Amino acid sequence: MDGLISHPVHRVSLGAETRYAGGRLTVDERDAHAAFRDAALAGVRVTWASPGDRVRIIKVLDAVEPRTKGPGPDGGGIFPGFLGPVPPQAGGATHVLTGVALLTAGYLPRAQEGLIDMSGPGAALSPFGSTHNLVVEFTPAPGASWESVDVALRKGLLTLANRIAQSALGHSRSDHPPIRPSAASLPRIGAITNLQTQGTFKDVFVYGQSFAREAPRLIDPGDLFAGAVVSGQYGHPALKNPTYVHQNNPVATELLERDGKDLTFAGVIISPEPVDQAAKERISTQAAALCAELEMDGVVLTKEGGGNADADVALKMDALEALGIASVGLFAEMGGPDGTAPPLVVPPDRATGMVSTGNYDEIVMLPEMERALGGETVDVLTAPATASLTAPTAVIYCSLSPMGAGRLTCREVAQ
Amino acid sequence: MTARVVHYLNQFFAGLGGEDKAGTEPGAKPGAVGPGRKLQELLGADAQIVATVYCGDDYAAAERGAPAAIVQLVAKERPDLLILGPAFTSGRYGVACALVAAAAQRAGISAIASLHPDNPGLDDAGTAAVIASGASVREMGPSLERIAQAARKRIRGEPLTEADGRIGKTPRKNVLAKDRSASRGVNLLLARMAGDKERTEVPVPRFDRITPAPPVDPAKTRVALLTEGGLVPNGNPDRLESARATRWLRYAIGGKTALAPGEHMSVHGGFSTVWANQDPHRMLPLDVAREMEKEGAIGELFGEYFVTTGNGTTVPNARRFGVEWAAELRRAGVQAAVLTAT
Repeated sequence: MDGLISHPVHRVSLGAETRYAGGRLTVDERDAHAAFRDAALAGVRVTWASPGDRVRIIKVLDAVEPRTKGPGPDGGGIFPGFLGPVPPQAGGATHVLTGVALLTAGYLPRAQEGLIDMSGPGAALSPFGSTHNLVVEFTPAPGASWESVDVALRKGLLTLANRIAQSALGHSRSDHPPIRPSAASLPRIGAITNLQTQGTFKDVFVYGQSFAREAPRLIDPGDLFAGAVVSGQYGHPALKNPTYVHQNNPVATELLERDGKDLTFAGVIISPEPVDQAAKERISTQAAALCAELEMDGVVLTKEGGGNADADVALKMDALEALGIASVGLFAEMGGPDGTAPPLVVPPDRATGMVSTGNYDEIVMLPEMERALGGETVDVLTAPATASLTAPTAVIYCSLSPMGAGRLTCREVAQ
Repeated sequence: MTARVVHYLNQFFAGLGGEDKAGTEPGAKPGAVGPGRKLQELLGADAQIVATVYCGDDYAAAERGAPAAIVQLVAKERPDLLILGPAFTSGRYGVACALVAAAAQRAGISAIASLHPDNPGLDDAGTAAVIASGASVREMGPSLERIAQAARKRIRGEPLTEADGRIGKTPRKNVLAKDRSASRGVNLLLARMAGDKERTEVPVPRFDRITPAPPVDPAKTRVALLTEGGLVPNGNPDRLESARATRWLRYAIGGKTALAPGEHMSVHGGFSTVWANQDPHRMLPLDVAREMEKEGAIGELFGEYFVTTGNGTTVPNARRFGVEWAAELRRAGVQAAVLTAT
């Protein structure tokens, strides 16, 4: 696996030149316009939204962290399959501008609306309430199909992420040592990351291709960090995994950080989440067999989406248990507004180790904001974009991060 | 200061009559009635039952607006506490107590219901406290004692726990943990592998396992057709929900031998309804059922079909539909049913 080099960003602005120095990132708007130049788009507008700003970002689509591996349009092999070649070339660390996210925001059909508040109680519920966000709003070209708009937005966001991160090339390295072999006596722990692959606007790309018809497979964490997994999935805003979260795969990162301390990193497996029950069962058996082949002692499983996606985790947990491999799954709860309904639709039968990433249905009050990005109205709540809102946690972007990027959970509160 | 208490009872315990009065609309009587008199004795001087609100079992369980109407009558008395039941194992009564208790809590009225742990209403009580009652009216005395004790505690502002006979759900609330979920997942896995095998953040929901009833002789049986496929008359005149259904509907099929295409449609939001709309028998096999009736393979087809939408429905609502359907079918002399699912 190739290493990571972090470059922290503390202050952001728009300016005459895209540059990074002394923790300050300046972005030249012309770089954004160039990245999104496409027949399907009439134009884009970029705006910074920072933590503490009284800003609400609505209709958030994807989020990407600025990363690159080198100069040029292929970024030295970054985002393999989109910008860099496939198979990815080994060698070369991934440079990361930390504390920054690039977001696309605006209307797309079949996209379920998600929002981010940059201040107030909503900010703590989204991982993007505490990053400096460069928000890209867009106008589709007249007559362009929505599918081609989607393709253009994805390519533009990845291109811009590479371009912005390149401003950090040549800066001194911070330290993220590559993994080293660890003591054999520690338990071998792996991760299974389920990807929601259910058709256009509900798909995830691996090395540039839809992962819908693929089998579970092992993936080099270095490739994950270089952006081999890119999201095109716009359902379930609270339960979605944008590209940013795949670039930072939280369970993989946790396992690598603890490798040689209290566990041995045993690998990351990515798996599709098909719609059909028979396929869910077949793929779960395959994924569990792969874990056994890799001699894993325990596995942490994550998902994307609600309801039927619980089955993809539960079936794999039971399949692992049947092979004598311990498992823990991350689940969001759907316990109703008062938190008293059964939390899961499809719990595992045999495996019982579950982490709660919070209740989807609990109501939150969001105060009025000064300005909004991404649109004029929150259609799902039929409210003006800046209005004070009473909304289920389910509308806050990544609030119940199924890959484990957030801190939300549920506890029993007696009354 | 004496706390103001309202007591909720069904038509039977309120002294209005039995099954023949199950359709009674919500009403109120001043003071304590029936088992409420004993309850008043047990509550003592600290609390006074200022009114008894009642409703017929059928009305309370089947009318969509019933819980809200009952809560309105309760709210008029400006109570400090609403006590419901005991409903023992009675299905419709228990569901009514639970739904009214949940609605009262949402309206800011503190509520305590008394149900047996097997009562199907248990999961409908929302954030209201449920105190265990006995299984049948024979255990009225001890059931009232337990609920009076819990009521006095609640009036003093103390929380109710298992030690008070509290059963059912404790609400689960969102909180921010110290570590992010990915770290907690790895911690939990290592803890379980080290021997703490039962540790989990999410209690495993235990869904009911239904044991099928013994087989019947179909040739002598009255059979009903039921569906959760959202199949309704064209235009959906009764506005069945396409997802997260809170109710079910019934439509006459007496005398019909088939469902004409174009007269029915599915409003289900969870699958492509093209094929069901093209031929509604794919959802509700009335054509085949009529043939079997004619051949004598089944005794008789029930004259109505029941329908809801099974798409993101909460388990408490689904359970309530089941209780209501079973009660309706039993009353209609139906011994078997075909329930189609999507």
